[in-house]
Amino acid sequence: MAQVKNWQLKREMKYPYEDSRPQKQIAYVFDTNKCIACQTCTVACKTTWTSGKGQETMFWNNVETKPYGSYPMKWDMNLMKDMSDQSWDKTTGAYTGKTIFEDAPRGENAKGWRPEERDYAYPNIGEDECSGIVEKGAFFNGIHDIWMFYLARICNHCTYPGCLAACPRKAIYKRPEDGIVLIDESRCRGYKECVKACPYKKTFYNMVTRVSEKCIGCYPLVEQGEQPRCVTTCIGKIRMQGFLSKPGEERADNPLDYLVRIKKVALPLYPQYGTEPNVYYIPPVHVPKEFLNQMFGPGVDEAIKTYKTAKDDKELLSAFLMFGNTPKIVHKFKSEGDFAVGYNDKNEVVTKVPHTEPVFVRPYYDEKQEAYRHNTP
Amino acid sequence: MKIHQYIFILLLAGIFTTASAQPVIVQSIQVSNEISSRNLDNPNWLHAPVATIPLLPQNITQPMLQKSSVNSLSVKSIYNNTHIGFMLQWKDSSRDAIVDADKFCDQVGIQFPMNPDTVPNFMMGNKKGRVHILHWKAIWQDDCEKGFRDVIDAYPNYWTDIYPLLERYGDGSKAAFARDVSASQLVISDAKNYMHGAYAGNPMSMIIRKEPCEETSAEGYGTLATQEMQEASAWGYWADNQWTVLFVRPINSADKNDAPIRDKTKMAFAVWDGNAENIGAKKSYSVWYTLELKK
Repeated sequence: MAQVKNWQLKREMKYPYEDSRPQKQIAYVFDTNKCIACQTCTVACKTTWTSGKGQETMFWNNVETKPYGSYPMKWDMNLMKDMSDQSWDKTTGAYTGKTIFEDAPRGENAKGWRPEERDYAYPNIGEDECSGIVEKGAFFNGIHDIWMFYLARICNHCTYPGCLAACPRKAIYKRPEDGIVLIDESRCRGYKECVKACPYKKTFYNMVTRVSEKCIGCYPLVEQGEQPRCVTTCIGKIRMQGFLSKPGEERADNPLDYLVRIKKVALPLYPQYGTEPNVYYIPPVHVPKEFLNQMFGPGVDEAIKTYKTAKDDKELLSAFLMFGNTPKIVHKFKSEGDFAVGYNDKNEVVTKVPHTEPVFVRPYYDEKQEAYRHNTP
Repeated sequence: MKIHQYIFILLLAGIFTTASAQPVIVQSIQVSNEISSRNLDNPNWLHAPVATIPLLPQNITQPMLQKSSVNSLSVKSIYNNTHIGFMLQWKDSSRDAIVDADKFCDQVGIQFPMNPDTVPNFMMGNKKGRVHILHWKAIWQDDCEKGFRDVIDAYPNYWTDIYPLLERYGDGSKAAFARDVSASQLVISDAKNYMHGAYAGNPMSMIIRKEPCEETSAEGYGTLATQEMQEASAWGYWADNQWTVLFVRPINSADKNDAPIRDKTKMAFAVWDGNAENIGAKKSYSVWYTLELKK
């Protein structure tokens, strides 16, 4: 195995192939604090890509309720309980445990597990379930005793994909131009090694075409400068898709670089797996830190602290205002006066959003219509 | 392959060949009548000598099989002026022919070197050492015998509301619902857009299949490629906890990608046990064995 640099783990790690970062890396930021699990993203993806025969239980995009929701069932717990030590060095912030590649059993390139058909049967398991029981007599005093949050999930288009590492036919590839990870549908022979190896369980076997499939990052849209379907249909505006620069080449005016690498307000999901996933999550502010550290690594406290400063930080606020306000991919953003402005790769303005939405107060009685206005909750 | 793995395999091959009185040779006997994969009752098979081929777990390249559930394979062969046939038999207590995320099917393969004089690596050949492979799968057998093995065949109680772009055939108006619409109908309609493997022309996604076997070429691990010309025929029979698969191929093929069959050449074999989750590289294989055409 080769030695490659994983910036999320702050160390080198083993991987079956040499380091070969794309020119730019497709990446997403999801704000878990804004997701309401309406599943519009899930439906948008399903109707666009996976409504065919053999895709009945296949969700390239899903939203699950943490702590108990998971699709396929126990996708994260099954792997974590099987992995050895998953510790981080508290001083350096480097990962001291083993990745799925370093922990691989004999004869395999990655540690993984293969779901059974039944594991795909309950996509809504644990939906809206809280972490515990509300005690008799409990009341809200500013902080909830129990918690839950929604976790929207797609393929992470990892820098070091587990699926790619496991495929004996090299039927999975990472595009050098944008880092999107694809299965060559004409080359795959349905060995399901990728299904077993992907720690996020975002490759799926199709029993009708008898080959595996996965999220394609809506590359036909991305190639035209548009964000994927799951991003643009999000009614809560929790998502933004853009591109991350190579480590060391970050630009402060690139919203993805800014949020992920400079402000470090968005964190990778289970970075300890070692695949360098590229969907970055703003952690929920109300969930116990132990749970969040396990899920997003050691940067949780700082990320939440930074997140809470957004209302007073025009730059950070401007980056957040790029979410859901344009279907175009934002390559550059600026805070200009009272507005956040987003630009495409040709430096054309694609969105301009006020830092503060203007407030209009309408009188209770409308003289023109001769009618009273009522608030409808 | 690392040198110590070569040595290990050669030692094993030596043990297997010297353990019996004579080296194992697949002797093909000449016959005058037709050889068909569909005719298990051809009396000529009774006269063909049996070669017992030892099988080993594939633990040379990743992903590996740690333990074989099928340890040997019986091989017989007959030939006439135009074709050569092989009868492969192995013990398998479960007939596995459904494929899904957690289901695997039984399979068997025969491999020939393109150049019998310079035999390449027995494990799917090597660069510039091409091999010709005949590959049979139990699910393809059922596709041919019973019609394409569809979702409803694996999950009889499944339900689905619609399949886009083919709604009119499964809207319930003629007592046919989406789940009743066969994949063979979908694949000849616009609904093929949602069948990515079939749309891309992947041979694995062939919905309408005439033969349960595939002819492929390879030059090493992970290089298996379906041949454009498919001339081989195969048929599988499962009875008494045993698979019997008949392969028939032309002796002098018009396809330049097919290995030549001379008086003497080499053969290697591989078996996949679906019940033991064998698939792809996780197989039981043999090293090269001599195939001799007896006059």
